[in-house]
Parts: sequence; C-alpha cells; structure tokens
Amino acid sequence: MLTGFCALLHKDLTLERRGGRVVIELCVLSLLVLVVLVVAYGPETGGRPESAAGALWVALILSGLPGASLAVAAEHENDCLTGLRLSPLEPATIYAAKVAAVALSMAVSQAATLLLLVLFFNLQFDLNLLRLIPILLLGTLGLCALSTLLGTITSRLRAGEMLLALLTAPLYVPELIAGVKASAAVLSGASLAAVVLPLKILAACDLLFVVCGYLLFEYLAG
Amino acid sequence: MTTALVEALSLSVMFGLRPVLTEVNLKLERGRAAVITGANGAGKSTLVHALCGLIGLSAGQARMFGQDIRRLRADDRRRVGVTLHRSMLYLNLTARENLEFYAKLNACQKPSEQAARWLERLGLGAVAEQRARDLSRGMEQRLALARAMIGEPELVLFDEPFASLDRQGAAVVGELIQELLARGGAALLTSHEPLTVKGAEPENYQLVSGRLLPAAAQPSRRTAWRWMLT
Amino acid sequence: MRPSLGAAFAAAGCVLVPAALFMVFVYVPTEASQGIVQRIFYFHVPCAWVAFLGFGLSAVAGAFYLFFAQQVWDDIGYAAAEVGMLFCTLVLITGSLWAKPIWGTWWTWDSRLTTTFILWLLYAGYLLLRAMGEENEQVARLAAVVAIVAVLDIPLIVISVRLWRTIHPAVLVTRSGEHGLEDPRMLQTLAVSMLAISALSAWLFWLRLKTLRAKSRLFELRRMLATAQAIGDGAP
Repeated sequence: MLTGFCALLHKDLTLERRGGRVVIELCVLSLLVLVVLVVAYGPETGGRPESAAGALWVALILSGLPGASLAVAAEHENDCLTGLRLSPLEPATIYAAKVAAVALSMAVSQAATLLLLVLFFNLQFDLNLLRLIPILLLGTLGLCALSTLLGTITSRLRAGEMLLALLTAPLYVPELIAGVKASAAVLSGASLAAVVLPLKILAACDLLFVVCGYLLFEYLAG
Repeated sequence: MTTALVEALSLSVMFGLRPVLTEVNLKLERGRAAVITGANGAGKSTLVHALCGLIGLSAGQARMFGQDIRRLRADDRRRVGVTLHRSMLYLNLTARENLEFYAKLNACQKPSEQAARWLERLGLGAVAEQRARDLSRGMEQRLALARAMIGEPELVLFDEPFASLDRQGAAVVGELIQELLARGGAALLTSHEPLTVKGAEPENYQLVSGRLLPAAAQPSRRTAWRWMLT
Repeated sequence: MRPSLGAAFAAAGCVLVPAALFMVFVYVPTEASQGIVQRIFYFHVPCAWVAFLGFGLSAVAGAFYLFFAQQVWDDIGYAAAEVGMLFCTLVLITGSLWAKPIWGTWWTWDSRLTTTFILWLLYAGYLLLRAMGEENEQVARLAAVVAIVAVLDIPLIVISVRLWRTIHPAVLVTRSGEHGLEDPRMLQTLAVSMLAISALSAWLFWLRLKTLRAKSRLFELRRMLATAQAIGDGAP
C-alpha cells in the first residue's frame, strides 16, 4: 500500500515538474484574486488584517477548486484512471495519493500567495506570518480532500466545474469561517493559543472530509 | 477440479436502453486462448470492459479465478494483464517511466530491471527515453502491451492487440501469448478479422450485435440484414 | 409499495391541515410583544423540522444505496431531497416575512438564518447535480456521497456559524419566538401544526416516491423489452 502511494505521488510530482499546469494555474488565479480584491477594497480598507485574511481565503478557494479539478481531470486523459483501477491498488490508496499531490501543489502556490499578500496589504514581514502556516495547511487539506472526492465524478460531466464549486462551497463553509477568523486574529498579532477553537473546527472538518473520502471514494471511482 | 481463469455467466450489459451484450457465456481455462471476432460496434471492447469489472452489468456475472469480479482481491488483480482501446499511459512520462510506474503498482521486486526487460522485449529500446506523447501509434501499442505484461500475469485480455502493429510487432505478441499458454496461462483476444495464434488452437467466437456465437455458426442472412439496419 | 400508507398520510393531512389553520388563526391567543405576525411561527418551525428531516432521510437512503446498490434507495433519497428543498425554501420565505416587521429587515446574517441558508445551498447543489448530470449510476452515487458528507458536515456548519457571529457582533436581537409559549394553547397549536406539516410532507414525499418508482419500473421494463428483442433477433 505504501509502495503504491509513493509511486503515485512520485508520478504526479514528476508530471507536475514536467510542464504540469496545476501549480501555474493555482498561482495565476491566486494572483488575480489578490489584485482584484486589493483594487476593489481601495487603499483605506485594504490595509486591515481582516481584509488580508479574507483575501487570502478567497484566493485559496477560488484557485483551489479549478486547480483540483484540473488535477483530477489529468487522470482521465488517455483513460489513466482505468489503468489505476485495473492495478492491485485499493481505491482508497489512489484517493490518498491524489489528495496528497493536489495538496502539495496548493501548498507551493500558497507560499507564493502569502508573499504577495504581505506586499499588497502592507503587512509586517515577521515571524507572525509563520503562524499562518498551520492554519493554511489545514484549510488546504480540507479543500483538497473534498474537491478530489467530488471532482472524480463532476470532471466527467457537462458543467462539471460549476457543479463542483456549487457542491464544495457550502460544505467548505465551516473551514472558511474558521480559517478566516483564525488568520485575521493571527495577522493582528494573536498567538495560536488564542485561536484554538477555529483550529479545532478546521481539524474536525479535515478529519471528516478525509475519512469520508477515504471510505467513499471506491463507490465513485467505479 | 479446474477453475476457469475467466468466466462470463449470462452476462448482459446495457447502455441506457440499448443492449450491448446479451447473455454472453464464456469460459476460459488454463492453457487456452480465445479469439473473439466481430464487426465494429459488435461489443468486443464492452465485453473486455465487463470481464474486467470496469462497467456495471445489467444481468449475469463476470468471474475471474473463481471469484466475482467486483470482489476480486488485490493479489488476484495482479494476475491479470489488460490492454484496452486507449493505452492508459501517461503521455508526459517517458516509455521507461510509464513501465516503471506500473511495475511499482504491481509490486514488482525490481521495477527498473523489469521495465528495461520489457522495453527490450517489445523492441522499444530506442525510444525508451521518449515521452509517450511522442510515440507513433504502433509504438504506443507496443508500450501498452508491455504495460499489461509487466506484472507477469497469468491471464491476459487484449482488446485488438494487433491493430496498428507491424509484422515484427505482431510476431512478438504471438510469441508472448505462446509462452503464456505454455506456462499455463490463458489469453483472450479480440479482433475485427479472424486471426490465428501460432502454436495454439484458440477457441473461436464471434460477436454479432451483442450475442456471442461459435465462429462456425454464421448468422442467417435475415439476421445479418437486421443487424446492419439497426 | 402499499397505497394504503399514502392514503393514510393524505387523510391525516386533510384532517390536520384545516385543524392547524383553525388553531393558528382562531384558537391560539395573539402573542403579546410581537402581535399578529408571530402566528407565522406555527408554520415556520414545522417547516424547518421537515427541512432538516429531509436531508437526514436523504443521507440515510444514500448510505443504503451505496451499500446495497438498489434503485429504491436512490429514489427515496431523491424524493426526500426534493421535499426537503421545498420546505427549506418555505422556512426562508416565512422567516423573511416574520423578520421584516420584527427586526426591520428581510434578511440578516444571524447564525440560524445563515445555517438554514447554507442548508438550502446544499439542497440546491444536490438537486442541480441530479438535474444536470446525466441519469446514470455515477451521478446517483455522487449524489448519495454529497448527502452523506452534508449531513455529517451540518453540526460543524452550526458551530462555525456561531463562531462567525462572535466576531461580527449582533446588530439585531436574537430570535425570541419561544418565550411567548407560556400559554398552553400555543404549545397545543404548535404540536398540531407540527403534525399537520409532517403529514403533508410525508404525503408529498410519498407521491413523489411513487412517481420515481414508476419511472424506475418503466425503465426496467423497457430494458427487459429491449433485451428480449435482442435475444429474439439473435435466434437462428
């Protein structure tokens, strides 16, 4: 099982390094969202930590959804998913590897987003920003777990991207609320101990989505 | 008692309201090969998909190694090699990387050695470092066959294996099947024209609009006409 | 499928709905602080109950569908979601009608309103998936998965939305419908309208389920016919 997981992950990372479009698409969309929001907020509201936290999470969700469906759709090219289904791998392993690959791509783009955020919103470039990392990682994992699960089917449908967004967004609301709240608090200088409840919500959602995906993926891959 | 390696029991498949396969019965034992011929659209590919458990059946059962295909254990899935119409190769990986990847999925002991061996065997040595995207159709077909064989399967299901292969490639595939049968494996091949397998007496079937018939029994003229019209 | 159960729901609805209407408009005393508008409470709360119940049933049916792969569970899940969507919409509408005179606004991002709205969005996504996806097993299974994940997600939505309210302090008073229930007649009226709306929704669910079952059965028969024709054609 671990061999299969590593082989899948290695394959996805090789493909991504070799002209994959997921990381680029994620970065470009995040950049666009940040620019649009900075302009839309205007110079006065733009500097507030709440606005920065909101922008960060809007960028996360708006780039993550198309990014995840792109990653899942890549597996449909040339029927590669069929090849995986014919292999001795458990469907759950395929799911876990795909989530890991998408999450890694998103983590890379989020590092870039965070740098841009500091520039655009005139944030302090200090160690406070490091506290955002666990929050963002939890949020990313949840979004990847959810969109990889649902995207497996929607990527084969007409209007699949729209359906994926419509199905994912309401389910993702708890993470969105908790994540924005925690990020805003951290950006205003609060310590991680002050945002334990949002972190718990993020972790609970991640657990729910990952476990559901792990157990239910086999019904969708078939 | 010998269990059939692959078996179809009154297997039927429908796409919506269209019957694609109707009550197909098939049994393939160790050391045997079956050749299924049929015109385009007769249901050959669908049969291979159904036998592998890739599509839902509307009735009947598909079995491999005596187990229902939907409950086939992971260890037993390793004993099957399949090629389908599409090659299932990652177009941005090289030929070698594709084979190594599938070798790892099949839990081969030495993936890179296995990959090198199969590249050599199918005459792909010269293009080993080319991406699958850049391979010609015939080369891609060879690579797809190598992909199917890399787990040393006992049972192979090849959908149109000789399509777009040159004479030398076809000869290699013939040898592979011969070896497989000699060591007690079984092979199921589909083709749009009758074919012979060297050194084996394959069971010949033909698929006529979703019905599996012995190759000898030609459909009556009337049925043939109806099949062409519908 | 016994028609008697559907008839029972229908009969119960025919008796209970007029009874509830009578109690709401004539029997029950007007609530002191909110006045006449508070009477919408007796429709609002039962609708919310049915809306939540619909999603629960849809998720349970979804789980059974994934496990047993029987069409009947898929039909139950679909029918439950449709009825749930109807009543969820009614909750939002009656809530808005109630909020305007009491809170002075049609809509506010109060935690309960937000939760209900997200539930409505979930229903909308589920039904749109059903409507836009082709009618095949994969879409049905995805719908089942969505329903299951959604039901498990609802508690987290409730918790997080409460959290959200604490960072944006409430502008408006929180709902105070319950405090007026001191009069026993109010409780009786609520109970009867609960039963009435439940019976009505059960009847609607039953009608919808019967339609879906008939559709599935028809499809099955047409498939059998097509198979029989194929066998007949192939016979020598």
